[in-house]
Amino acid sequence: MARIDWSILSGPRVSRRTLIALAAASGAAGYASRLAAAPLPTARFTNLKAAQGEPVTGGTLNLGFGISQIPNLDPAKVNLGIVAGELVSNLFSSLVQFDEQLGLVPDLAETWTVSEDGLVYTFTLRDGLTFHNGDPLQAADIVYTYERTVDPDFASPHANKLALIEAVDTPDDLTVEFTLSAPFAPFMAVAASRGPGRALTPIPQRAFEEMGEEQYDQTPVGCGPFAIVPETADLSSGFELTAFENWYAGRPFLDSINVTIIAEPSSRISALEAGDVDMLDIIPAIGVEQILGNPDFTVVQTPGTSWNGLAMNYARPPWDNPEARMAVAKAIDRQALIDTALFGLANPSIGAIAPAFAWAYIPPEEQETPQAFNLEEARALAESAGIVGQAPTIMATTDTQRTAEVLRNQLSEIGLDVQFEQLQQAAWNERWTAGDFDWITNGSVADADPDDGHWNFFYSEGPWNTHGYNNPEIDELLEATRATGDQEERAALFQEIQAILQVDVPYAFLHHTIDTTGFHSDVQGYLPVPEMRYMEHVWLDR
Amino acid sequence: MTQYIIRRLIQSLFIIWGCATLVFFMLRAIPGDPVIQMLGPEYTPEAAAALRTKLGLDQPLLVQYTRWIGNVLRGDLGGSIASGETVAEAIGSGLPKTLSLAALSFAIALVIALPTGIVAALKRNSLFDYIASVVAFVGVSMPSFWFGIILILIFAVNLRWLPAIGYSEIGEDGVWAWLQRLILPSLAIGAGYSAILMRFVRAGLLEVLGSDYVRTARAKGVRERAVVLRHALRNALIPVVTVIGIQLALLLSGTVVVETVFSIRGIGRILVGAIFDRDYPIVQGVILLIAVIFVLANLIVDIVYTFLDPRIHYS
Repeated sequence: MARIDWSILSGPRVSRRTLIALAAASGAAGYASRLAAAPLPTARFTNLKAAQGEPVTGGTLNLGFGISQIPNLDPAKVNLGIVAGELVSNLFSSLVQFDEQLGLVPDLAETWTVSEDGLVYTFTLRDGLTFHNGDPLQAADIVYTYERTVDPDFASPHANKLALIEAVDTPDDLTVEFTLSAPFAPFMAVAASRGPGRALTPIPQRAFEEMGEEQYDQTPVGCGPFAIVPETADLSSGFELTAFENWYAGRPFLDSINVTIIAEPSSRISALEAGDVDMLDIIPAIGVEQILGNPDFTVVQTPGTSWNGLAMNYARPPWDNPEARMAVAKAIDRQALIDTALFGLANPSIGAIAPAFAWAYIPPEEQETPQAFNLEEARALAESAGIVGQAPTIMATTDTQRTAEVLRNQLSEIGLDVQFEQLQQAAWNERWTAGDFDWITNGSVADADPDDGHWNFFYSEGPWNTHGYNNPEIDELLEATRATGDQEERAALFQEIQAILQVDVPYAFLHHTIDTTGFHSDVQGYLPVPEMRYMEHVWLDR
Repeated sequence: MTQYIIRRLIQSLFIIWGCATLVFFMLRAIPGDPVIQMLGPEYTPEAAAALRTKLGLDQPLLVQYTRWIGNVLRGDLGGSIASGETVAEAIGSGLPKTLSLAALSFAIALVIALPTGIVAALKRNSLFDYIASVVAFVGVSMPSFWFGIILILIFAVNLRWLPAIGYSEIGEDGVWAWLQRLILPSLAIGAGYSAILMRFVRAGLLEVLGSDYVRTARAKGVRERAVVLRHALRNALIPVVTVIGIQLALLLSGTVVVETVFSIRGIGRILVGAIFDRDYPIVQGVILLIAVIFVLANLIVDIVYTFLDPRIHYS
């Protein structure tokens, strides 16, 4: 392998453009030119009202949030992607944050360097940072946060993202240095980014210890542009966020955000239309067309950071036979599936690289995949694999039931009699982690880096690889994506992995969800970072 | 009477204990693991084991059970697995909402059911009776969540008279704000409930109006108004009160779905959310509460009988 210079990951900016330029300059331009030619996935604004002049400070935004209950707001405990990306990211800043193409830009760290061997990450914090309670935020707080997250008694689900850290050092108050035992390319995105990278999201020791763990779950003291108003905090109905005057980039435009939890999708739509709320974090699929047709509302759609597919369990013959799996993959008409089951709100997928990762993604129009819809070939394969008349069961939840029903219809075309079993999420999770299923539709959620959507599902020891995929070549390639800091090279590796996955069919790839948010047209300044809601940019034109 | 009440209360304790025990073990028998649920898909076996120990879920079932019952007897219902909230806090925040909703729904149901039921019985087979019957059938067959959505579309989205969702604390925002947010959900539940009650009022009254003592009352020249309201209605209400007691289940289950549609976090929504999350302490606590409400409500129904009909007495 060529010598890798990890220092190109150093800050204060790692963007797609620099990467392409760098790759072209280094002569490894073959892939770079393809990337540069690929249309950049961008956000689509519908009904955006032209802003009347300069941003205005003041006002309260009522935000409807679609979830049944938020279990907690402690970054190191949050396990739901939308809570992390859309609420925690407003309460807490982190070392770095994302730009619209999911490149990394400074947040609390003004800049950072990565050593040439990819083992030492040195972050330089801004001077004069404080937490919401006024306590200074310095290098020692990052160390405290690290220690808290990895404490086995604390049982953070994100501790594994810090497992490679060997040593933490603070040469001075504003510098923190992590030494890793092996290179880990997605480190900053998955462990230290604003929103998803919550393993290292800074926690004020004094506030945490004074409040106690249970209280801190509900009313965390953070360091982001907004602070939670403790008296209003009821994580099952809603709470108020208020502008943090001393945020490093200046106070946000909005005075406050009123978060109301609305579990029922149709109620969320009604609440937006009735004016109870000004914005929905995500517009439920059933209401997108209705809101798109209403000129009072702006709808923003950004490419998703996740993928979804159909897994066939290797432990349940004949699904250990690649020919059988390929027959199924080829029998699925993705666009029809998306139109029927998902209200057209997704992009067809040819692999696990999500369109939001512009630096690694190549759209299906520009790439062939053996899994492409072809009924004739699918029938022939089904015949030769001897699966005609088989009756596998798709294990589904209420969320995936529509997809399962459409698959059942489509696959009857190759002679399969697909059954489905609908479970509650908790029962589904238990059987999924135990590998107790024939088929499931599944995929990643709110990824910070393609690593999230690959390693866990396709590495032989990956935690979510419960369908039994094991290909040493893939293991090696996945290890290589973690061991190189060159995003250009990682992109090429992910493409190589994708080509193998398309042939092996550990998943029949189905779609990438489109992230869809919407607000009243007097809401201005929204910055479309996929699956994040960085609300400090937002202001009200009233 | 006092003796009877005491005896019933002691019986009730056993019923409630039985309920609590059944729920405790059934919850653990259904598939789904609260620890996996709480840690999410990114869980690691180490984190799961640590959390299991922390929550005491690694102990044998009987140990968990005795520990829980012991705590309940000491008045400690425990804390939620999913959030830091204690069960008492969850109930304390949810119960007033559900009770407000149930009380207003019940009031709406009575206000609709009593007069229409009485008039329908008095003017039997009239146009009014037919219309009332048809409306009642529609009311009974209409799911409350669907009616709730329709009410939201009409009164919140189109007319903008009332808010679409949410709940206001009576102490914080005043009676009007409280009522404003409760009218639609209460109507959604109360409409179906009133339809059932109305049918019972009508049937009960019809039966009583044909009885001998009513004929006697009329024969001795008692005014019709007094015959119906003082003599007939009281006896006609006995089956209605029975139904009210039984239908309390309907009222409470009605609040579960309607609370979801109107985004009110009452007992119903807390319970459903906790069941989905396998949040054992919350489910146990809320079901215990519901069992207590049921047992007490039925005791009250039995006592109300004695007021309606002095011939009924317990010894």
